[in-house]
Amino acid sequence: MLGYLLRRLLQMLLVIFLSAAASYALLYLAPGGPTAGLRQQQQTSRMRITEEDMARIRQTYELDLNLPIRFTRWLIGQPRGRIIIGGYEFFGDVQIGCRKPIEKTVRNESGKFETIVTGCKEPEYLKDLETRKTSKGILLGDFGTSWKITRGRPVTELIGSRVEKTVKLAGYSILLSLLFGIPIGIYSAIKQYSKFDYIFTTLAFMGSAMPSFFFGIVMILLFSIIPKNAGLFYLPAGSSEAVRDYVVPGLGTVVAGSQTDVVLHLILPVAVLTIISISGWSRFVRASMLEVMRQDYIRTARAKGLRERIVILKHGLRNALIPFVTIIVFSLPALFGGAIITETIFAWPGMGRLYFQALGSYDYPVAMAILFITAVLTVIATLLRDILYTVVDPRIRFS
Amino acid sequence: MAEANNTPKIPSILTDEITTPARDLLVDAWYRLIRNRAAVVSMIIILAFMVVALFANYIAPHSPLQLNSGKGFLPPAWVERGPNGMAGDPAFLLGTDTLGRDVLSRVLYGARVSMMVGFIPTFIILLVGTMVGLYSGYKGGWIDNLLMRFTDIVWAFPDLLFFIIVMISLRETFLGQAMNGLLLLFGALAIVNWVGVARIVRGQVLSLKEKEFVEAARCIGARDSRIMWKHIMPNALGPIIITAAVTVPGMIITEAILGYLGLGLRPTTDANAFFITSWGSLLLDGQVSINAQPWVLLAPAICVSLIVLAFTFLGDGLRDALDPRMQGTQ
Repeated sequence: MLGYLLRRLLQMLLVIFLSAAASYALLYLAPGGPTAGLRQQQQTSRMRITEEDMARIRQTYELDLNLPIRFTRWLIGQPRGRIIIGGYEFFGDVQIGCRKPIEKTVRNESGKFETIVTGCKEPEYLKDLETRKTSKGILLGDFGTSWKITRGRPVTELIGSRVEKTVKLAGYSILLSLLFGIPIGIYSAIKQYSKFDYIFTTLAFMGSAMPSFFFGIVMILLFSIIPKNAGLFYLPAGSSEAVRDYVVPGLGTVVAGSQTDVVLHLILPVAVLTIISISGWSRFVRASMLEVMRQDYIRTARAKGLRERIVILKHGLRNALIPFVTIIVFSLPALFGGAIITETIFAWPGMGRLYFQALGSYDYPVAMAILFITAVLTVIATLLRDILYTVVDPRIRFS
Repeated sequence: MAEANNTPKIPSILTDEITTPARDLLVDAWYRLIRNRAAVVSMIIILAFMVVALFANYIAPHSPLQLNSGKGFLPPAWVERGPNGMAGDPAFLLGTDTLGRDVLSRVLYGARVSMMVGFIPTFIILLVGTMVGLYSGYKGGWIDNLLMRFTDIVWAFPDLLFFIIVMISLRETFLGQAMNGLLLLFGALAIVNWVGVARIVRGQVLSLKEKEFVEAARCIGARDSRIMWKHIMPNALGPIIITAAVTVPGMIITEAILGYLGLGLRPTTDANAFFITSWGSLLLDGQVSINAQPWVLLAPAICVSLIVLAFTFLGDGLRDALDPRMQGTQ
């Protein structure tokens, strides 16, 4: 057991490291970045950006360092300068980047102008890193500072301000989906081919077929825009609370930021997320329940003369919910990462929207932090699932 | 098969068994499938969309790129008065968008991308996933361990976050420019999703390779590759086909979502291009003007829902047909 856990933890670390490297490499390839706009300004404005300015900006964002060095500094905050062992200095003069590259603009085959780097005017050495500000590395929870959205402020602060909203949104919807999804699934399994089963099966299919954003837009249209224009009771859509007081017919004036205001804003996005999850989860419970109910031990339980209630709840449901562990556990990353689509549609200030916003505005430290934390949570969820399986189902052993 | 021993020896079944000619497993499944009404209707819908996608240039009443000046914002033909007071024009059955382009023609052309997005990545996914799963499950040992750790890494990324990051990072590269970004879209979808198939196939192989017929094949000296492809693979085909039917609608929905976020295919203005627009980008166009021109959003949204629903029902039917024991449990 201990050996198994240790091995899994090691594998987990490897997976996390590799996924961090993969996402870092992807963003390294991404266009744009802090200097993209500056280069364009340089050509039109009278205030020219000097080479020295460029070098300073590149240094701030560590763009002057080679990829492996940048990556390890981002990941674990190393190297920070010369390596000193027992009074001797090592690798102080190893070139690790370029402060001022020699750039040349040439015309490529398709006739467009391209800037290419041909050499290095002023190389950067390992010892030069000593004077720099270094983050502690993301593995120690230091995600650096935001480039754009809250320029210069720590990423953790930005994420901290948004994570609560996402946890609230995702938490309520997961809770409600469990509350409704499981009973609906059980009921349609027990009453298979009944009217209830047919109705819910059709609804669930439709729920999973509609793209989530379309569903969200329709909900906004039906419960927010149309009733508002008609002067009826409506639910406000957009953001998590209002900026100024507003009047809802039938409810009177709602004070911005009050409890009522928050609840009113929460209803629509939670409803959308919940209905989508219910359609998937109830199908899952139904399938698993049907599978279990045809097992021999259910027949045995019935033959013993147990009441149907007990057969279903104690013998059937308990076993039917074992595969459900996967779904519950994988809600963990969703709780943090949020629902990009739903949050975007409802302008919900949560993590999913922040991620999309960060990538759109080239705020890579923020995007990387979210991606990294979500990946770590997914890996943890995988381990948790495997452990929980052995707890709820003693037939499964560690191997 | 294994259940044959349990069948009570009723004469009518016996005679049935004698009179029924031996049929291939897949042929058998096909007969079961076409007895399923929902699956047949789904197949007809899918076939219709395929025809539309292939022959969009013949079917579409207008060029999807033609700007009809003075005829923008037209509601669908049967609407007498649209939200902006304009009347529908019979020439534009589903109305026109902001620039006066025919919505019906654009939706018909959009079917091309969605059908391609449904099938091509699925094909790659099945190919790669089956090979990896088969090899890793059959060989076991360190190869299995390595391949499975690799799938763990891919698994660790939440799908949508990964698609978005790939689409944004590689958009400006050669890969992202090819086929208006479609190639990148296919690649991104395939890279994330082959993992699921590999795991399913591996699980199948792990249980199949312990079966007697594999042992028998090994006894008569069959090579590993023969056992894998001729003995194990056909038996694992059922779950693979079912996965395919579930993957296709997933791909179509993902394309729509990415298109909605502005990350899918770039709509082109080149009249000779095969892929002009996609349902995803049409949804994005429609969402902007949802109040004034809901038809621009509704037309592609209904198409996406319809095709996804058709594939879901077909997948359901396939599951029942390929694995009769599972009938009614899904």
